[in-house]
Amino acid sequence: MSEIKKIIKGCLAGNRRDQELLYRRHASQLYAVCLQYSGNDEEARDILQEGFIKIFENLEHYKHEGSFEGWMRRITVNTALEKFRCRHNLYRVDDIDAIREPDAEPDNQDYAGLEANDLLTIIRELPTKYRMVFNLYAIEGYSHKEISSMVNISEGTSKSNLSRARNILQRRVGSYTGLKKKVVNE
Amino acid sequence: MSEKGANIDLLFRNGLKDYEVLPPPGVWDGIHPAIKIKSRTIIILRVAAVAAVLLTVGFLTYRWSNEITGIGGHSAMSLNTISPVTEISIPFDNPLTLVKKENKRINNSAVIEPDPVNPQAITEEVRQDIAPIPILNFKGPGIFSLTNKSIAESILQIPSGKEELSPVKIQYQPLFYDPENVNEKPVNRWSIAAMASPTYYSSINSGSDALSSQLSKMEQPLFSYSGGVAFAYKISKRFSIQSGLYYSSLGQKVDDINSFSGFGQYNSSKGSPGFEVITTSGTVVASNPDVFLSSGSSQRVATSYTVDVFDPKKASLQPVNSSLNQNFSYLEFPVLLKYRLVDKTIGINVIGGLSYNLLVHNTVTTTMNGTIYPVGDTRGLNPLSLSSSLGMGMEYNISGKLSLNLEPTFRYYLNPFSVTTGTFIHPYSFGIFSGVMYKF
Repeated sequence: MSEIKKIIKGCLAGNRRDQELLYRRHASQLYAVCLQYSGNDEEARDILQEGFIKIFENLEHYKHEGSFEGWMRRITVNTALEKFRCRHNLYRVDDIDAIREPDAEPDNQDYAGLEANDLLTIIRELPTKYRMVFNLYAIEGYSHKEISSMVNISEGTSKSNLSRARNILQRRVGSYTGLKKKVVNE
Repeated sequence: MSEKGANIDLLFRNGLKDYEVLPPPGVWDGIHPAIKIKSRTIIILRVAAVAAVLLTVGFLTYRWSNEITGIGGHSAMSLNTISPVTEISIPFDNPLTLVKKENKRINNSAVIEPDPVNPQAITEEVRQDIAPIPILNFKGPGIFSLTNKSIAESILQIPSGKEELSPVKIQYQPLFYDPENVNEKPVNRWSIAAMASPTYYSSINSGSDALSSQLSKMEQPLFSYSGGVAFAYKISKRFSIQSGLYYSSLGQKVDDINSFSGFGQYNSSKGSPGFEVITTSGTVVASNPDVFLSSGSSQRVATSYTVDVFDPKKASLQPVNSSLNQNFSYLEFPVLLKYRLVDKTIGINVIGGLSYNLLVHNTVTTTMNGTIYPVGDTRGLNPLSLSSSLGMGMEYNISGKLSLNLEPTFRYYLNPFSVTTGTFIHPYSFGIFSGVMYKF
């Protein structure tokens, strides 16, 4: 029996040590997903907490057929979506024209020097609706049809949001790479 | 643009792949208690299930053993014996007391019958003696005598030795009832009752989820009621099985949701508004095209017609109310076990069991000057839910067949009405059922 199977079995039996071990092993990986889907750290923390509770609750339904990490990631993303569906009116979606333009011109081809934490910072600066659609389409690989039912928007809105998200991201990426190059040269 | 888009997608997909960030301390402390609650609930349910099975098996064993004892030890003859020890007077020197001999029963009809277990025991002795000699002589009310010595010795266990036999007189108490008219009082095993109750409905939020706690705070229980017909079968003096069919109407008020009428003229021009409100019992979806929903401070209404897109006041929509009413109707099929604690004029019962609840009606409304204004319905509700019941019933017997009943009952729903929030929100209700019961 593989180690993860043993841990899952222990969790199902109510073994606290195994439950904590499962959390310690995967919390960092899933917290990065939570940050990617949330606008602030507090919300990311809530998603992680609720997501893990659901993981433990539904552990008995995991059939050991696919990737366990993938299964946990889907639950975490779904938890983030539930929060979004409930609260998305709390966050006013800024009009595209109102978003501050980056200082530097975008450099579409040269993304060198950008690290994962830079990308995370950029993606979290997106307006919530755009961030959701971009994450679901570009990172998770869902289609616009699937996204429309997940986020309760039309397919057209999903496409439009994705386009706007990409537009903003390209500008921001350009700004970051430009600034980094400037710092290196100095 | 498409290629640029693909590039930016790849940049983020690859860049964030396998990226890890250490979560803040304390998150696990919020997760573990919630798992413990779940585990504890499962343990309690398992213990309850085992206890129920053991009780049922124990009870059935007790019933079965009683039936076996009844067949061997309570024949019609022994039931009719007046007293376990029958005193006799005989003209011998030493008066004897007749100890009731096992398997020799004396019937009220004053006829000694052969041993049912060994019927030849007496008849053989009778054959040995001269048949015409009368065995029994009736001397008057309450007295009969045995005139055959050997039979008397045999039956009464009198030591032999006296040659002359005087009649053995057995005195028995006079009968106070006519044996021919002795009929056992019929037991009313079946009963039917019509019961109704006002019900207080609420829910237990045992999760640590901030969202569900926030939702619960803005929901108030509405007046609920339950009523129906119950059948019961008395399986022993103390235990009854009860079932029936009940109709329950439950509901809750969701505050901080403003509704407006007259939206129909704008509704079609800008596409479906898709008004949705998440509640602890599911997601409210507005299907009435004339209604416009907006939230107050909580901003709980999800719609494409946000306040910056459409202002109901500018459009001169008619305000209806600032809250929504969720109404659910269930058909309930209870399977209950009733134990009678006190069996007097006022009987007291303990009632417990399970109930299957079938969702039959689900509406969301609001009110405008007392008039009900339909809004839509609640989505994501479980069509079938299971609830456990525990109650204490008081029964006042008006006559042998009719009684008035009062049953305060607590009901806990084992599975939630909805899993919208994904947390442990379990509804419960408390009602005081009253009604009339007829036994037959």
